[in-house]
Amino acid sequence: MRTKWNRVLAALTAAGLVAGLAACSGEEGAAGGADLDGKRVAAMTDYKAGDRFKATEPVELRVLYSDHPNYPVKDDWLLWSEITGRTNVKVKPTIVPMSDYEQKRSLVVGAGDAPEIIAKTYPNQEDAFVASGAILPVSDYLDLMPNLKAKIEKWKLQPELDTLRQDDGKFYLLPGVHEAPWPDYTLAFRTDELTRLGLAAPKTWDEVYTVLKAIKAAHPDSYQLSDRFEGNSILNVAAQTFGTTAGWGYEQSQFDEGGKKFAYTGATPEYRKLVEYFHKLVAEGLMDPESFTQKDEPAIQKFATGKSYAISSNAQTIVNDYRPGLKNIPGATVAKIPLPAGPQGDVMRVTRLENGLMISAKALQSDKFVAMMQFVDWLWYSDEGAEFVKWGVVGTTYDKDATGKRALKSDIGFGGMNPDAPKKLQKDFGFQGGVFAYGGSTELLQSMFTEEEVAFQKAMSAKRNLPLAPPSPFTDAEREQATLWETPLKDLTKQATLQFILGDRDLSTWDAYVKELDGKGMGQYVQLVNTAYERYKQKNG
Amino acid sequence: MVTTDPAELAERMGKPAAARPTRVGDTRGYRVFRVVNVVLLLVVAAVTLYPFVNIVAQSFSDEQYIRTGRVNLVPRGFNLKTYGIIVSDPTFWNSYLNTVVYTVTATLISLVLTTTYAYVLSKHHLKGRGLLVGVAVFTMFFNGGLIPNYVLISELGMKNTLWAVVLPNAISVFNLLVMKAFFESLPKELEEAATVDGLNTYGVLLRIVLPLSKAVIATMVLFYAVANWNSWFSAFLYFDRADLFPVTVYLRNMVSGATTATSMGSTDSDVGQVNSNIKSVTMVLTVLPVVVIYPFIQRYFVSGVMLGAVKQ
Repeated sequence: MRTKWNRVLAALTAAGLVAGLAACSGEEGAAGGADLDGKRVAAMTDYKAGDRFKATEPVELRVLYSDHPNYPVKDDWLLWSEITGRTNVKVKPTIVPMSDYEQKRSLVVGAGDAPEIIAKTYPNQEDAFVASGAILPVSDYLDLMPNLKAKIEKWKLQPELDTLRQDDGKFYLLPGVHEAPWPDYTLAFRTDELTRLGLAAPKTWDEVYTVLKAIKAAHPDSYQLSDRFEGNSILNVAAQTFGTTAGWGYEQSQFDEGGKKFAYTGATPEYRKLVEYFHKLVAEGLMDPESFTQKDEPAIQKFATGKSYAISSNAQTIVNDYRPGLKNIPGATVAKIPLPAGPQGDVMRVTRLENGLMISAKALQSDKFVAMMQFVDWLWYSDEGAEFVKWGVVGTTYDKDATGKRALKSDIGFGGMNPDAPKKLQKDFGFQGGVFAYGGSTELLQSMFTEEEVAFQKAMSAKRNLPLAPPSPFTDAEREQATLWETPLKDLTKQATLQFILGDRDLSTWDAYVKELDGKGMGQYVQLVNTAYERYKQKNG
Repeated sequence: MVTTDPAELAERMGKPAAARPTRVGDTRGYRVFRVVNVVLLLVVAAVTLYPFVNIVAQSFSDEQYIRTGRVNLVPRGFNLKTYGIIVSDPTFWNSYLNTVVYTVTATLISLVLTTTYAYVLSKHHLKGRGLLVGVAVFTMFFNGGLIPNYVLISELGMKNTLWAVVLPNAISVFNLLVMKAFFESLPKELEEAATVDGLNTYGVLLRIVLPLSKAVIATMVLFYAVANWNSWFSAFLYFDRADLFPVTVYLRNMVSGATTATSMGSTDSDVGQVNSNIKSVTMVLTVLPVVVIYPFIQRYFVSGVMLGAVKQ
């Protein structure tokens, strides 16, 4: 039912978007960039990196706000009053339930009714809005954002930012940025069982296989790995080490560094290896075939009741789902293992870009445009802003000792910190919320991690991070054409992947599958991607 | 099922009414049918009731038991703690109150509009009646689409007001046609007599027709009230403030908010699952009024729909 709604909505909004914006795209012709005369009301004249932004006269800003069910928005949050106190900016959130945030975002942008700041937008989600002209090409205005520019330089973010560029060479999303890659998802194992059987935590995918096999010898009637996330997480992380993309991270085209060309991901030898590996796990009864279809709850239940011994995990699910669930099994322990190495070596492929925000093109008409950009720069990209939205106010929500170590006040709790405190950092104060707090320096990011998670991140940081594919942005006409090919290709790949893994389709028919892909336009699609890639390379070096 | 077995027929002829006074059609086939029927309906009832009972059981259970999948029909680790938490949450009550206000207002408005519209349409002598029916039926098949509707409501200044959820769907064409059929089935003579006795059109409607229409009105109240109680979409579209959301939006965000974020492959640690215990308590509290009221209106509901279905 949900998916049906989603599809209907997506179709409707997409259609409406085109129609709705044909009307208002005309007035945005002069968004060229430099001419900001008359738009500097309330702005600071010499605002630079490290300064605190304070508007010279009161400013009101609307923000499209994704409301999290765990900490529903409140008007009296310290977050709001403190923002106004520090910056003279009053943030007026347009509240959208997180469950349907994307639909509402498409709707308000399509209807020309979007707030100035459209938060919580993941890289590539902005693509759909670019053609409409409703979204500001923010790359033209980076000069107004000294903190972001400083971060790009200091953390060498340019290659990642380039992946956001559209065919016009501009980018339309202000992404959240991390100092270092932050891999979170991997496999978690029942460590007590590993110890009992005298097994070491697997370091490669081959070792994952042998470890699962060893557990199978001890527990022949169960599946050792019964996964959640419909297999999307394990495919995603494993694919990185197999040199391809799958699951959540699936991208239709895959860049061949040697040949400097794109190929269709689902037909590459790397992808085939990945599929063969998981087929082996399923065929030998090590991996539950339901891993790819079941909902999260049954997967968690199997793990929590000792029916399975490994499951996909991130830092949160360990704490929230598995440990509490395993309380019934005396002596049971669980931990994430660093991402196993694969055929490509001890690698991962993680972007340092996070969800970020789009700026409504309408905002440019405001005489307070410059002040708004400075405010965005301070709140989302300055060190002070990042610490503020995460930890709150020194002396009120947290203390900082001489070494710079932060600790929440004893009556305020978050996650594992002060779990019994009467007040919560998110619920009662609005800090560490998903709309404002993400990205930032590694030190700040890890300041709220458990020791265990810090150790995991340390182990992961030793891995080589593979380069991202170069940009290959489509023109509007190409995008329309590409979409026609992408959907059937993706459906076929997804379906065949599952069939191969589950053994419903024999791996010897791989060539027939590739031929089928060809029949659905794989060749033309790849050619289109390569044309776009070459064109971009020529235009932008 | 009629039996063709001569022996059985003969037996029946030989032993007339005295032996089996009232059960004429009670053949073996029919008895089998009844057993199958009862069994089948029991299965359907069980399948339908199970999720309800399960949610109720979960709402009284300890999270630990739910997480390990050990709660079925009976609460395990019985406690009322979560009810305490939800009941003392002002956000929940605020949305609950919103739902009540929206439902009552919307139902009243819908009822007035549907009744008057249907009454007009039931009068065959009315000129342009076909057009009026057509206007209504047209909206069953065509509408402006999401974005035009949104723009319309915004331009009318109804965003973030009660009217945005109450007015756009005030008349359900299906309900309108049911009611029209019902009014058409009332004897014309009654209204004629009332007119002769000096009542004008409004008098006829208010004093003669409506008192005779309690069944269909009860049905409409039920239809509209349940639909309004459950509706979340217009509120989601037209409200920008959390304090205006009805409880359904609150519940929906709770049930699928975290799931949506995970399904996008978000790597962000912000994705936290809401405790299933809290979810089920909220669900129980949300459906409670409908579940409690339904059985009392249901008898009208059956007769109301039937009355409209048969023309005289």
